[in-house]
Amino acid sequence: MASEAAGRRPITVSETLRQLRTQGGDYGGVWSWIVTVDHKRIGILYGVTAFVFFLFGGLEAMVLRLQLSNPDGIGVNADQFNRLFTMHGTTMIFLVVMPLSAAFFNLLIPLMIGARDVAFPRLNAFSYWVFLAGGIFMNVSFFTGGNIFAGELGAPDAGWFGYAPLSLRGDTGIDYWALGLLILGVSSMAGGFNFAVTILNMRAPGMALLRMPLFVWMTLATAFLIIFAMPIITVALFQLLFDRLFDANFFNVAAGGNPLLWQHMFWLFGHPEVYILILPAMGIVSEVLPAFSRKPLFGYPFVVFSGIAIAFMSWSVWAHHMYTTGLGTVANSAFGMSTLLIAVPTGVKIFNWLGTLWGGSIRFKTPLYFSIGFISMFVIGGLTGIMHSIVPADYQQQDTYFVVAHFHQVLFGGAIFGLFAGIYYWFPKFTGRLLHEGWGKAHFWLMFIGFNITFQPMMILGLLGMPRRISSYPDGFGWNLWNMVATLGAFTIALSILLFIINVIISLRSKERVGPDPWDGRTLEWSLPSPVPPYNFAQIPTVKARDDFWHQKYVEDQAGRPVPVVADGAQGAPANEHDGSEEDHEVHIHMPSPSIFPLIAALGLPIIAAGLIYDYALVAVGAAVLMVGIYAWALEPPTE
Amino acid sequence: MRSVESGRLAVSPWLGIGLLVGLVIILAGCGVDTPQNTFAAEGDVAEKQKDLFNLTLWPAIAIFILVEGLLVYALVRFRHRPGNEGLPKQVHGNTKLEITWTILPAILMLALAVPTIAGIIDLGRPPAKDALQVTVTGFQWNWIIEYEEYTDADGNPLRVIGTCSTNCAELHVPVGREVAVYLESSDVLHSFWIPRLAGKLDAVPGRTNVTWFNAVNPGTYQGQCAEFCGLGHAEMRISVVAQSQEEFEAWVQEQLGGDLTTNAGDGEEGLAEANTARSKE
Amino acid sequence: MSAAERGELEHAPTAEHGLETSTGLDNRKLLMWLFLGSECLFFGSLIAAYLLYRDQSLVPPCPADCVIDGVAHQGLFDIPFTSVSAFVLLISSLTMVLALAAIQRGDQKGLRVWLFATAALGILFLAGQAFEFTEFYREGLTLSTNLFGTTFYVLTGFHGAHVTVGVLILLSLFVMSLRGQLSPAKSLNVELAGLFWHFVDVAWIAIFTLIYLIQA
Repeated sequence: MASEAAGRRPITVSETLRQLRTQGGDYGGVWSWIVTVDHKRIGILYGVTAFVFFLFGGLEAMVLRLQLSNPDGIGVNADQFNRLFTMHGTTMIFLVVMPLSAAFFNLLIPLMIGARDVAFPRLNAFSYWVFLAGGIFMNVSFFTGGNIFAGELGAPDAGWFGYAPLSLRGDTGIDYWALGLLILGVSSMAGGFNFAVTILNMRAPGMALLRMPLFVWMTLATAFLIIFAMPIITVALFQLLFDRLFDANFFNVAAGGNPLLWQHMFWLFGHPEVYILILPAMGIVSEVLPAFSRKPLFGYPFVVFSGIAIAFMSWSVWAHHMYTTGLGTVANSAFGMSTLLIAVPTGVKIFNWLGTLWGGSIRFKTPLYFSIGFISMFVIGGLTGIMHSIVPADYQQQDTYFVVAHFHQVLFGGAIFGLFAGIYYWFPKFTGRLLHEGWGKAHFWLMFIGFNITFQPMMILGLLGMPRRISSYPDGFGWNLWNMVATLGAFTIALSILLFIINVIISLRSKERVGPDPWDGRTLEWSLPSPVPPYNFAQIPTVKARDDFWHQKYVEDQAGRPVPVVADGAQGAPANEHDGSEEDHEVHIHMPSPSIFPLIAALGLPIIAAGLIYDYALVAVGAAVLMVGIYAWALEPPTE
Repeated sequence: MRSVESGRLAVSPWLGIGLLVGLVIILAGCGVDTPQNTFAAEGDVAEKQKDLFNLTLWPAIAIFILVEGLLVYALVRFRHRPGNEGLPKQVHGNTKLEITWTILPAILMLALAVPTIAGIIDLGRPPAKDALQVTVTGFQWNWIIEYEEYTDADGNPLRVIGTCSTNCAELHVPVGREVAVYLESSDVLHSFWIPRLAGKLDAVPGRTNVTWFNAVNPGTYQGQCAEFCGLGHAEMRISVVAQSQEEFEAWVQEQLGGDLTTNAGDGEEGLAEANTARSKE
Repeated sequence: MSAAERGELEHAPTAEHGLETSTGLDNRKLLMWLFLGSECLFFGSLIAAYLLYRDQSLVPPCPADCVIDGVAHQGLFDIPFTSVSAFVLLISSLTMVLALAAIQRGDQKGLRVWLFATAALGILFLAGQAFEFTEFYREGLTLSTNLFGTTFYVLTGFHGAHVTVGVLILLSLFVMSLRGQLSPAKSLNVELAGLFWHFVDVAWIAIFTLIYLIQA
């Protein structure tokens, strides 16, 4: 409660620093995390929670891979298999990659644009709690099938894209799935609005749009995709739920309904969603490569605009998920064309990353390894994507392991590698400690090798005619060997994640501290102390250039070669410009007050959802909780 | 130390290349042990699809080698060397390069669009008039096959239902003759797929999707449902048995109990009749 | 942007503190515009589903006069009635504008009158919708009857839910004003409620035109 009191009145920098020093950086215990509205803490909560879900999703994947390691399997039945792969996909997309990206938005965006927090700190806390509530709600479905210890699993069983009419038939698992996605949608939308407003409105003086770090640009593009894609899936899920719970007819063929409506709605959301997953990782890589090549990003405006182009074009390619549904030659040709063309801006990004490395002085640190892993694997994902846009060839590949391999190339080889690059890169900024390089490189190599021996064999399997989502397969189809290899690869990946966990533990316990700028970074966050103080910037910086912090450290001579700025005693080392050295300035900083109401409002949502499944009386309870939370939140003063 | 590390990094992308090359070698040959190998095409449709796949595979491998090669080259050539603590020249970009690597891929993509659209139109044509008319209906978790050309004594079309405990569904067709498939579903989505003969087409409840294929050589071609359809999805198999015309007719006769009447030539009317008959059921 | 105001962005109005944002637009107003953009996609999807299934119902009742399986059926829509309720909602946008004008010139009494009038008109609209739903239900149209019932109730129901939320916001503002918590400096609150209200109004005009008036 101490921190709440602190937030009720203006605090000064020196006061905060004193508080930090006396409490050893930990300002207020568990309760302070529950009521926090600090974007950095929310970012850490997002990251840790998403990582826990990553372990869940990974565990599900391990069971799936074991079952498929040989034709006889390990005794997982079709029902369990269907539920597990549905939850694996749903978890990895909505509970891992999206929230991990959100963790980076939270941690970095205010720091990169020179702001003290996001535009709506309590809405930000609300996003996190809703995400947590939705994730738990979704996973609770596992327990609804009977005795879970006897292998009677609940959970949805219609696949992560829940095609109607199959999704009309399943048990309550599907209700959990649809309602869980609606809850998670609220979280994503709240985050999308918050970061769009933050980026558009909260930039430090001089931080013009075309001076923003690439990661900020990609976040902005992602936020807009979320804002416009989420309502579509929201409507689709409502339609599904109305059909399931209230006997509506949206997808009821007997009443003339068209099951393809679901597919159009789902993929009209679903393809922008793919870019919601990958653009943040592209942003991360675009930050890491310049730092370790010691050169600015090559072709900055082209990388920015290709990202925007991708975001726009992602709206025009949804039906390439539906080539085999019988859309007709005109539609298939149009979507084939648009899918081919989206490869162009994607290629532009890759070439610019190569251009960034070119002529650099590349330091081989772990974040760079993961970024290189991203590029080299994402290229395969992109090229196989082009193969899918060759529509007649796709008639063979659709719904086979070739597709499974393709999207794992993009989402694991791409997004997950990119996100790990970000974790290794920014870990010191928020913990004050570097992750261990040796363990980090071991983690990278094991994950990289494991990744390749898991997913490249799946391409072969797909071309050998193995469809996805089968819980067993007959002997004698030439699939045995490659399935076994893929399973071994999956366990290699699992081992690499174990190395990562060990690395985090070792590094967090290490006594070694790191300065504000361990990588000779280019963007504003590296001008701040590590870990970053609650108020971020003692003084809001004035930005004079792209890569502003780098320009504080170096000037370019006439040949374009950088020369370090001579440290001037009066100014102090440039790295310290924005840290707490101005202790004596009585700068009044109004920090947003901590609040419990975002959590309370968030709690209302899963109660309403459970009520829709079990008892409508609960809906009223949940709605009351939600209303109390929102009204209390609205009436509570944000500061003072 | 640094250079050793970069050397190790340099090896890794070749792993991918090796796997891709291995893939090509593996897929090029055998069709014996891989009854659903999309590369062992035995029908005109699958053949065209395979050709289109190969058409993109080689440019894709070329681009892959180019990009990964440039990546590895850049990593080795521009690695930080001990003793050289100066910073590299700060290059911000090059508009000519940008235009080049925007335009060239765009041209390549448009070039790929030509055979793609040609292929879509080619395979998307309606079935030939003289094709064998077959209605294939997917249901959880099997297939019903109806031959509109052949009717039993009561005038109902010849109807074969897969018995999954033994052999699942068998679609008998004469070798070389085009087969028109009218694809329907009576419950959820399914997808009709015989990899060595033709790519897949979904069976969507409430509508009839039409496709066609042929088998060039006699034989049994394995296939299975390719759209997730619930508990029995993995077992929802179907195979196409391509036989000579004589063998095929003998099979039909056997199915009809020796009473073969044929409607060949007015397949569409037969289909219409069959549909009316079904709707009355 | 000055540091001191940072924490007050969520509720403090722009004018009071001379707060500057990068775009010059208040954070909350920008949020509202983005939210309304998102809402366009939401209603767009619902309207698209309705239009896709228009005239596809296999059984009556139909929105307008129709013939199914050779039997003629009378349409359910009562255009004059719905025109009146659409007009009611349209007028409420006017009273909303008047409420905002009142708070901006410091006229608390006017503010209360117009806020209340807007909310009352909203409630009147909702009553009209409740009446319409009841009538349709009596004529045999439920959510499960046919595609028309499904798409119509869900589309107009979600619109009604938006109007309900709008009424709640208006009444909350009304109570705040009674308690003297709505000073002219907080006119942004009224402006934001107004933006939402106008959007809901415009959405209804789109629905009324596409669903009721245009019978293809």
